[in-house]
Amino acid sequence: MPSLLGRLSRTDTAAGWALASPAAVLIGIFGLLPVLMSLQLSFQQSDLLRPQTPWVGLANYRKLAEDPVFVEAIKHTIVYTALFVPGTMLVGLFVAAAMNRSVRFISVYRTAAYITMAVSTISQGIIFLWLTDRDYGLVNAGLNAVGISSQPFLASPSQALYVIVAMTIWGWTGFSVIVYLAALQGVPAELHEAAMIDGASAFTRFRTITVPLLGPANLFLLVWLTINALQLFDEVYATTRGGPLRATTVIVYYLWDRAFVHFDAGYAAAMAYALFVVILIITAVQFRLARKHVQN
Amino acid sequence: MTRSRLCIALVAILAFVLTACGGGGSSPSGPTEIAVWHGYQDTEGEVFKGLVAQYNKDHPDVKVSELYSSNDLVLQKVLTAVRGGSAPDVAYMFGSWSPNIAQIPQVVDMADEVKNPDWKWDDFYPAEREAATVGDKIVGVPALVDNLAIVYNEKLFADAGVAPPTKDWTWDDFRAAAAKLADPTKGQYGWLIPADGSEDTVWHYLPMLWEAGGDILNSDDTKAAFNSPEGVKAVTVLQQMAVNDKSVYLDTTNENGPKLMNSGKVAMLITGPWDLSQLSDISYGVQVMPTFAGSNGGHQTIAGPDNWVVFDNGDAKKKAAVDFVKWLSAPEQVKAFSLGTGDLPIRTSVGQDQSVLTKLNENVPGTSTFVENLSNVKKVRPTVQQYPDVSEALGQAIVSVMLGKEQPEAALNSAATAADTALAEK
Repeated sequence: MPSLLGRLSRTDTAAGWALASPAAVLIGIFGLLPVLMSLQLSFQQSDLLRPQTPWVGLANYRKLAEDPVFVEAIKHTIVYTALFVPGTMLVGLFVAAAMNRSVRFISVYRTAAYITMAVSTISQGIIFLWLTDRDYGLVNAGLNAVGISSQPFLASPSQALYVIVAMTIWGWTGFSVIVYLAALQGVPAELHEAAMIDGASAFTRFRTITVPLLGPANLFLLVWLTINALQLFDEVYATTRGGPLRATTVIVYYLWDRAFVHFDAGYAAAMAYALFVVILIITAVQFRLARKHVQN
Repeated sequence: MTRSRLCIALVAILAFVLTACGGGGSSPSGPTEIAVWHGYQDTEGEVFKGLVAQYNKDHPDVKVSELYSSNDLVLQKVLTAVRGGSAPDVAYMFGSWSPNIAQIPQVVDMADEVKNPDWKWDDFYPAEREAATVGDKIVGVPALVDNLAIVYNEKLFADAGVAPPTKDWTWDDFRAAAAKLADPTKGQYGWLIPADGSEDTVWHYLPMLWEAGGDILNSDDTKAAFNSPEGVKAVTVLQQMAVNDKSVYLDTTNENGPKLMNSGKVAMLITGPWDLSQLSDISYGVQVMPTFAGSNGGHQTIAGPDNWVVFDNGDAKKKAAVDFVKWLSAPEQVKAFSLGTGDLPIRTSVGQDQSVLTKLNENVPGTSTFVENLSNVKKVRPTVQQYPDVSEALGQAIVSVMLGKEQPEAALNSAATAADTALAEK
């Protein structure tokens, strides 16, 4: 009965849209519209103060290419991402594997591993500031105890970025633990039992059974953590404010600095769009690569 | 195709919703309501609320409502509100923003208003008036004033056998004292300077630059002048203390100063009166900044005057808002606010009132030195729109020198090039 079917699907469509529209309108107002307006802004010169925003075409984008600080910010962002993403995944996998067993008080350990996610990034930054303080920090007290001289850490242009990498890995480990733990629990016990009967060692089983089955979790974490890494801001704002000597100026921090400290909103919008394109490309590449390797 | 049509439909709905949200008028009857945004908390907040309540009681035809808004973020919030057509009637704004604020069309130019003798405009300290003036516009009325001086820990000086700072101190004396007070084995430093390269770093350097006889920009604000021999001389002091003597704690967070001072880890801070209330565990003294031997710059300091900025939301509200800030900055209220909070009085007539000084010192010791130090404010930052760019370049250069990465002259020269580029733009 095609006519009935057609009518059904029509009412379904209407009902579907009716249900989705409140959310769609909200996302439109607070998500889509600002995104479109900032695209427009990226072709204008705006100091946020005057209502006049002259159209400057691609000038903001051209300025990006010639801005040495922006190039530096890209470098810092790449270094950060390249260390943070694999670091968080490896540490998370290790902790999750260690917790994927029935021992006493396991829920306490699992809560402890996840609790870093509950710490706000700003408090996290302040905690690390004091932990790594050159003169009064606990980390240096520990180093001194084993005979290593005090390090300036966040106060040093050559160390600060790596301290932020370590700090954010600490902060995000809980997240990757949860994802990996869920994936590990989904690995069928029969496969392990069968392999055990065939005489496979624990390490071989982990490598040949567990790791391949973690594919979707890996892909999810890779994409999610990369996007977050490229958008790093809070931790930098709370600890180094992009310094010392711009050593931790990453793209989003620089963008904020241009827009709200130097009132160059059009330029900052162009930077945001450049970042958007980069994230889009990287995510597409990650998906394509992953499709080859991830089994369903 | 359906997708794009859907998008258009969505955008149309949005446009409708947004227009429906806008608008809305004020009621014609009843008192004129004005909104004041300020950043006063704790004691300051209580005293300010008290003043507002008093004003409302004495002026039944106006209703002032006060709203706390963090000072650091107020410009961004005001900009958003102005764009949304819901600007406050009065807002507390940092003086360093004045050149930018002058660009906002809704800001009321007070130039003609304050010519009226009952404002007693000349009674405000010169630095305050200059910081509110951009070209021929006056963008605000003084709200608060600060300045920098040496605050020192008396016990640490006595323990190290160093004579406390005097008015005759030169920067050489300051450097020598800091070196003697620094004790690496105890994690103790002679001095602490904010070293994140922001304006916080820069404004600690500016009085040194001026005392050495230098200036930030040339006389018509078109080129950097801080890379003069005088500028190099001032940065060299910082270099010697940070790199050679290692007597300075370089505070990259800009928040450790009062904490480390109060816990006896730092012997001297160059800071303003706002930090004094946090130094409850130590006994401290306050002294004006040192001078450069052989320079005619003398004692100087830098004032950070902030302003009440009035926005035009229609004639009735504007009139009420102007009347309110006039009342608020009148000598009587200035005195009440200063005594209630320990903040420096913004008018000379109040600052020279001995009874006020005595009471201020009873509440927070050392405050009167800061009040007297206001007379050492001889220069202000240039009120040009590119100042944030100039400050950024200079800040990076200073930090670079203090970290031992660059020599003073080279660092200042490259900063001057960057500043010149920024000044030539726009």
